[in-house]
Amino acid sequence: MPPSALGSLRSLTRRLTVGGATGVGWPRHEIALGVAFLVAAALIGLLTSGYLLQFATDIFTFMAMAYGWNLISGMTGYVSFGQIAFYGLGAYGTALLILHGHVPWYVAAPVAGAVAALLALVLGGVMLRLRGIFFALGMFGLVQILSILFSQWQFAGGGQGLILPGALTAHAVYAETVLVAIFAFALNLYYSRSALGLKAMAIRDDEEAAAAMGVHTTRVKIVTFVLSAIPPAIVAGLVAWNRSYIDPPSMFDPSVDFQAILFSLLGGMGTLWGPALGTVILELVGEQIWAQFPEFQLGLFGLLVVLIVVFFPGGVVSVLRRFGWLPRPVIMAPSELPRGSPPALAGEAGGDGPVLEVRGLSVRFGGVTALRDVDLEVRRGETVSIIGANGAGKTTLFNVITGFVRPTRGEVLFKGRPIKGWSVTQLAEAGIGRTFQIPRPMESLTVWENVLLAALNGRRKHAAVDQAAWVIRALGMEAIWLEPVVNLPPGHRRQVELARALALQPDVILLDEVMAGMNREEQEKIRDAIRTLHEYGVSAVAGVEHVVAAIVDLCDRIVVLDFGQKIADGEPQQVLRDPAVIGAYLGEAG
Amino acid sequence: MLILQLLVNGVLLAGMYLLMAQSLNLIFGVMRIVNFAQGTMIAVAGLFTVWLATRIGLNPFLAIPIVFVAMFWIGAIVERLLLRRITLRGTQGELMTLMVTFGISFVLINVALKAWGSEYVSLPYLQSSWRLGPIEFAKSLVIAGAFGTVLSAALFSWLNFTGSGKALLATSQSRIGAGTCGIDAGRMSTLAFALGSALAAAAGTVLVLVTPLGPQSGNDLTILCFVVIALGGLGDYLGAILGALVVGVAQSVLGFYLGGNVQVLLPYILLILIMLFIPRGLSLSRLAR
Repeated sequence: MPPSALGSLRSLTRRLTVGGATGVGWPRHEIALGVAFLVAAALIGLLTSGYLLQFATDIFTFMAMAYGWNLISGMTGYVSFGQIAFYGLGAYGTALLILHGHVPWYVAAPVAGAVAALLALVLGGVMLRLRGIFFALGMFGLVQILSILFSQWQFAGGGQGLILPGALTAHAVYAETVLVAIFAFALNLYYSRSALGLKAMAIRDDEEAAAAMGVHTTRVKIVTFVLSAIPPAIVAGLVAWNRSYIDPPSMFDPSVDFQAILFSLLGGMGTLWGPALGTVILELVGEQIWAQFPEFQLGLFGLLVVLIVVFFPGGVVSVLRRFGWLPRPVIMAPSELPRGSPPALAGEAGGDGPVLEVRGLSVRFGGVTALRDVDLEVRRGETVSIIGANGAGKTTLFNVITGFVRPTRGEVLFKGRPIKGWSVTQLAEAGIGRTFQIPRPMESLTVWENVLLAALNGRRKHAAVDQAAWVIRALGMEAIWLEPVVNLPPGHRRQVELARALALQPDVILLDEVMAGMNREEQEKIRDAIRTLHEYGVSAVAGVEHVVAAIVDLCDRIVVLDFGQKIADGEPQQVLRDPAVIGAYLGEAG
Repeated sequence: MLILQLLVNGVLLAGMYLLMAQSLNLIFGVMRIVNFAQGTMIAVAGLFTVWLATRIGLNPFLAIPIVFVAMFWIGAIVERLLLRRITLRGTQGELMTLMVTFGISFVLINVALKAWGSEYVSLPYLQSSWRLGPIEFAKSLVIAGAFGTVLSAALFSWLNFTGSGKALLATSQSRIGAGTCGIDAGRMSTLAFALGSALAAAAGTVLVLVTPLGPQSGNDLTILCFVVIALGGLGDYLGAILGALVVGVAQSVLGFYLGGNVQVLLPYILLILIMLFIPRGLSLSRLAR
């Protein structure tokens, strides 16, 4: 690779990281690996022809497909069994453009890629409403539908297929295939280091929690889906041109998709280098094996997928990471935790009206009434505790306010506006932060990324980094800021939850059992944080079951819920002396 | 009268689809996974039956116990050696398991291709039909439909009225709860997967009497089974009856008027429509309650 190319890589790094910080630098072996790939690709293109060149073209074709799949399935966690749909659409688009539009092939393939991306935009809007296995099966079904439709569409050759003028330019096809593979790699590179990628990975870990942190989940998913459709569509156009014959069974063949999935899995799903390594390794090794057992190729693929998923789920990259190679960069992590600056006073002054107002709220689940006619008012900067036994309706109340549950009756006003019909994301953006009763931090990400995810909401990169750093310092989490959440004990996980909610810089923060399972020292940190909240104009509503003592001296007001009804509301000392409250809360009848 | 004939055929088909789908339901209920190899297991069992009948001259109904036992053990081994080792939980775990069964289906397809070629074959057996007024009852379809219905009913009775069946049902409702009652949830998973596979095999044996099967028909069948149980609500044994009837009748009627392609496409279109608009199914038993 010429030095100028290296230079442009570095400037790309700078753009992807924050202010020339080195925390997300380029480890040497990563650059070396990239250079090795490019040199090998160039040498093959210059020195080989015939069978070898075709073999190399196949490798890069699969690499592009594996990277496409990795984007939607590895990064975003939406495992698709139907990316081959875009492969087929790309092939047919290219063929029809060449035959009827008389467009040269090197233009036809990218145009078909763009068309496929457009179709992905439409399809994504429908298919991405499905989750988990439903999405996987739905995509699989979509491919079958397309395959049958194309076999009926006479203009596209029907079941007979289409014959194209043959390709006489194997080297050119190879070069364009390599370019598509590089493009697909670049997309993955961007995802592994950018805010968009962070949001995608957050969706993979916990889509609902991501929405509660202000991530526009639908938008991120659709963008990713569209991007993931482009590489297979373009390479399929090149394949069609190269083979000069296409028909529905070969262009919508699930086993081709399956190979791309296998390559991605072997290398390491959701990693930057996995698809490339997996494709190269398995194509080279496989070539020897298939030659021995040509009739068992499909079965061996199947067997490999089974064995990899069961015994080797992290793939090649996970093994390399054990030796410290190819680590996942922590997204936008500066080399040192910046000082951060405290946020400006929250929100517009908005007068003295209540920040949050709940009026006559009732929620019924089937025959169970979780909340009955509950009223609540929270003023700016106020700290309110909602106490009540397990099942009193605290979490349901929080779920209604944050958009997770629709109320049966009644309304919620936030800063004076009714929030009926607002989505979880919109509410988070508007300034309602929350923690979950059972902490739901993003497991595969670090503390830093969890906090940054929320801080990115409505902020530019630098401001978000500043905000995240401030929150981490404010909560005293400097020692664990680069720790992956999956390694953290429960108390720390709750801290991460609180930090995330704070990083949103909300007007109101809803803390659901925020001190449960914490030791004294950790509780003290949270108490400090809650004390600080109102200095920044943040109102806090804390749902508390057990550690009442820990919160009493912090709050301005206590509201008591009992079986979904509000039975008291007032000054802490006064409420706690109320005989009705004592009766309900301590279970002393009469 | 034609429409009546089509309805009868649809209902008979439904009896068989019910068995195919209940075995998927059984596995989904206990293990929370969709066995993507289900359809291929059905197809392979059907092809094996054809092989037994043409090579050895074995009556297809005598083949049932053989494929049943064989697939039971294959299922048990797959669960013990592979599926059990997937430690991921939640959505990612479900997807990994789906991927493994996807892989298994490719292995089975390859083995079947090697053993019996890629052709679609049927087993000519009980080719004549009974007449009742203007309606014709194809013997093979009646036998297959009745067999499916009876075996499904047997499964339902076993689950609801016997100790071991109840243990399995309990596990599907709450693994932890069942565990505290002394039920070995791991054992139940093995049993569910093994029994689910075996019932799929039994369904394949009779399916091949009424429709041609090939190694590649597995995926179509998997989706068909999934649609049936998704229509009725995943894990809902009574709901699946409604699902089977809807799919069976729709396939019979639409297939006649709109052609074979629609018949093949129908499950896929239903799949996407159901998941988008009624993801919880028609919920027959919730209505009944």
